[in-house]
Amino acid sequence: MKSTSEVWQGTLAMMVLKTLNVLGPQHGYGIAKRIEQTSGDLLSINQGTLYPVLLKLEQEGSLTSKWGISENNRRARFYSITKAGQKALAAEEREWERTNLIIARFCALRGEEQ
Amino acid sequence: MKRLVRLIDRLRFALFRHRGDTEMAEEFESHIRMQTDENIRAGMTPDAARRNAAIRFGAAESVKDKYRDQRGLPLLETIRRDCRFALRLLRKDLTFTVAAVTILAIGIGVNVAVFRVTNAVLFNGFRFVDNERLVYIANGYGCCVSWPDFEDWRSEAKSFEGMAVVQGQGGVSVVDKSGFAERYDAMRVSSDVFKLAGQKPILGRDFLPSDELTGAAPVTILRYSLWEQRFAKDPTIIGQTLSINGTSTTIIGVMPQGFSFPQNQDFWVPLVPTAEVRQRDRRNLWCVVGRLAEGVQIQTARAEMESIGRRLAQTYPATNRNQLPIVQTFSEFFVGANAAVIYGAMWGAVGIVLLIVCANLSNLVLARALGRSREIAVRIALGAGRWRVSRQLLIESMLVSVIGGVLGWWIAELGVRIYQVSDRSWRVLDYTIDYRTLIYLLAVSLATGMLFGIVPALRAAKLDVNITLKDGGRGLTSARAKRVSSLLVTTEVALAVVLLAGAGVMVRSLAKLYTADRGFNSADLLTMNLALPPNKYSAGRDYLSYFDRLQMGLQAVPGVEAAAIANSLPGLGVPRLEYELAGSPAVADKQRDTVLAYTIGPSYFHTLAAPIVAGREFSDSDRAAGLPVIIVNQRFVDKFWPGDSALDKHLRLFKGNQSGPWLTVIGVASNIAQNALTNEPDPLVYLPYSQNPLPTAWLFVRSRVPPETLTPLLRQAIHKLEPELSIGTTATMPQWFRTRFQEKNTIASMFLIFAAIALLLASIGLYAVVSHSVTQRSNEIGIRIAIGASNRDIRALVLQQALVPLAVGVTVGVMFSFVVNPLLKSELVHVSPTDPLTLMGVSVILILSATLGCWIPVRRAMRVDPVVALRHE
Repeated sequence: MKSTSEVWQGTLAMMVLKTLNVLGPQHGYGIAKRIEQTSGDLLSINQGTLYPVLLKLEQEGSLTSKWGISENNRRARFYSITKAGQKALAAEEREWERTNLIIARFCALRGEEQ
Repeated sequence: MKRLVRLIDRLRFALFRHRGDTEMAEEFESHIRMQTDENIRAGMTPDAARRNAAIRFGAAESVKDKYRDQRGLPLLETIRRDCRFALRLLRKDLTFTVAAVTILAIGIGVNVAVFRVTNAVLFNGFRFVDNERLVYIANGYGCCVSWPDFEDWRSEAKSFEGMAVVQGQGGVSVVDKSGFAERYDAMRVSSDVFKLAGQKPILGRDFLPSDELTGAAPVTILRYSLWEQRFAKDPTIIGQTLSINGTSTTIIGVMPQGFSFPQNQDFWVPLVPTAEVRQRDRRNLWCVVGRLAEGVQIQTARAEMESIGRRLAQTYPATNRNQLPIVQTFSEFFVGANAAVIYGAMWGAVGIVLLIVCANLSNLVLARALGRSREIAVRIALGAGRWRVSRQLLIESMLVSVIGGVLGWWIAELGVRIYQVSDRSWRVLDYTIDYRTLIYLLAVSLATGMLFGIVPALRAAKLDVNITLKDGGRGLTSARAKRVSSLLVTTEVALAVVLLAGAGVMVRSLAKLYTADRGFNSADLLTMNLALPPNKYSAGRDYLSYFDRLQMGLQAVPGVEAAAIANSLPGLGVPRLEYELAGSPAVADKQRDTVLAYTIGPSYFHTLAAPIVAGREFSDSDRAAGLPVIIVNQRFVDKFWPGDSALDKHLRLFKGNQSGPWLTVIGVASNIAQNALTNEPDPLVYLPYSQNPLPTAWLFVRSRVPPETLTPLLRQAIHKLEPELSIGTTATMPQWFRTRFQEKNTIASMFLIFAAIALLLASIGLYAVVSHSVTQRSNEIGIRIAIGASNRDIRALVLQQALVPLAVGVTVGVMFSFVVNPLLKSELVHVSPTDPLTLMGVSVILILSATLGCWIPVRRAMRVDPVVALRHE
């Protein structure tokens, strides 16, 4: 059984990969903004928690990063998704779909019983 | 793969965390700035914008911690913390640290030293030579090849890139342009020997095939050390000439520093196959060096050489019957079949030393953990995991071990140097340190730390916190811990006994070697090797006339009691000759049995003080023209004419296919150690020098004064008769024996040193346990004294602690010796591997030494002041 933080990290990791896959290279702040926009307030308090996830993904080889200049002329580290990352993302998405489906079925089952 | 990448990345961060930290800080700061910028754009004041950005980023420190954990290796991090903590503790308890490190350094040091020696002797071989590809081929184990055989092998064998034949030549007289003569060792070689070994001269040129043709201008290549010492590294040496044994020889090259092949010679000359060398039955070349072709295994080469040998035996049955070539590796050829036994035993010995070290330290660390049990209990109570506590203790042990290993390195260096000096053999070996040694050192250090740390660490993990904290810091003093420590000491004692017993029989065997009855009196006997100059003496009667005059001249030297010549020293062999006893059926040529035939001058047995059993020994009246005579030894008589008189029996000897004259036995000599110093002598015969003259001889002189003082007078007398005669090895008989036993001596000394270390460590181990128990029980002892226990009672009480481990250890050790010692059998002479006297002796030595070690704590116990002891509570 995974602990909640691990589940959270996993979810966040998928969000990061998805974001980068759609938007192309982004700095941490940009990724955080995007996730906030799509997920509502999920990240609004703890933007910092993004960074250990980014690092883990980079260590796994799903991301690469390099320093660059942001649109506002600030030095920032830009992350971009790698081939391995895209593969991992695809696998992860399939997994989520499957899980969603199962959960949905269970919820429906419950409804019938009641 | 992914995991590996991550691990490497993490390791990188763990090692260079500094850079990672600044980058992380910069990235976070940039994030917050961007949020601030946006907040300002949204209309906040700069202060509020910054605060809001920080809040939205979250608890920065906690994020940083998480980030760091993700980035580095948390395990590595804690290990680093543990190491630092351990170092602090070790510095605090300096007595323990110094003791432990010293013991470890000795244990690991001797191990690495033996590893390096073994590595050199068994695997590394010669320096600067491609040892893996070279094999040594001969018709026997250690020597003997004939030139025609070598030529056939070289032309027929396909498994080899090349073959070269080598032949040593000791005591060659060399005169350079200064006119000063000196004797050196030479090696006669085929011209491509250096190519096969994989080396080139650093100066001048290599030998060429044209150098080994008959009539080619004589050339030589020098060893670096000769060039350095004799010619002061003269860069213009190439082209200069030397007179080698009277032949003017041009120096054409100098080999690289440290290169010497295939033994310890000073220079090389081409081996020119003269008509004499080209005889197939003259197997007096040393060996053939073969370089295996690319990808050929030694088994393949062996099989091929064997089939070639069989073919040659069919073609030349007279000379090559039973003469199959033997292909050997470096260690098989140069170190001998016994090498594995000797060096294996040596390794076993240092392994035992290391085990004793481990047991010793295990006890020390256990005692230390005991003293710290309260601290450990508190840490566990405060929430430290038991695994964490064990790991901390284990890391401490490993740390001590690694420090010991580093110091052990220097001890090993010292050990190897001592071995190199004492091993004055003709081998020139590669003792340089390679990566294998370093890996071995590291592995041994870590394994040792693990081994002695594991028991205390596991015990600490089982610590009962409640009892410990209640009991006032004595949680580990359970009966169980005491049993563990007793068991460790028992093991130490047993191992020490095994090692002592092994060393004991080796030393006894060596002592027997020195004192063995060799059938003659070796005290006050001096020997010298003499060689007549070949340009002045060429015929048998010249040799004879010189040695006759010499014997007369020597009688006149004051202090000389008797003098004689012979063609061999005791312990050295001579060629075997075929023989035929008169009256026995005739046997075809080359199929007769052979016998060792020594050539000796008049009064040989008189000079050696060996009795003549029957008849007489050779005298001046046995002349070349007289009746051909022979002397046989007692073993010969026992074998062929048992119960009969040998006198006036007849036999004849064969040289090549030439039958000698019928010889009349005129005497029977007692059995003296002639061809070997360690075994019973073989049946052998003696021929008179007058009927078999040679230009070289060993001179034997029995002296009335200390033999060393006689040497200059003898030299004078010898040179007075012939100034150009060259005098080689000069030694007293005991000196000669020492040279012969050098290797056994070295090995026995090494075992003795290891055994002494083991004895010391086991005694210290016992001392430590008893001493510790006295400290622990000082209360009890105090009470006993207070209620009237006598000194004797106290002594008995304390010694009891030592008695059981000692008694059990010695018994088990002796039992193990019965199993282990027979492995040494091949190394032992005149002594049984389980010699009862030795086993008893070592048991007594160990018990005495251990009792001595216990005496200190016993005295301390007797001096316990009951008042102090009880107040202490």
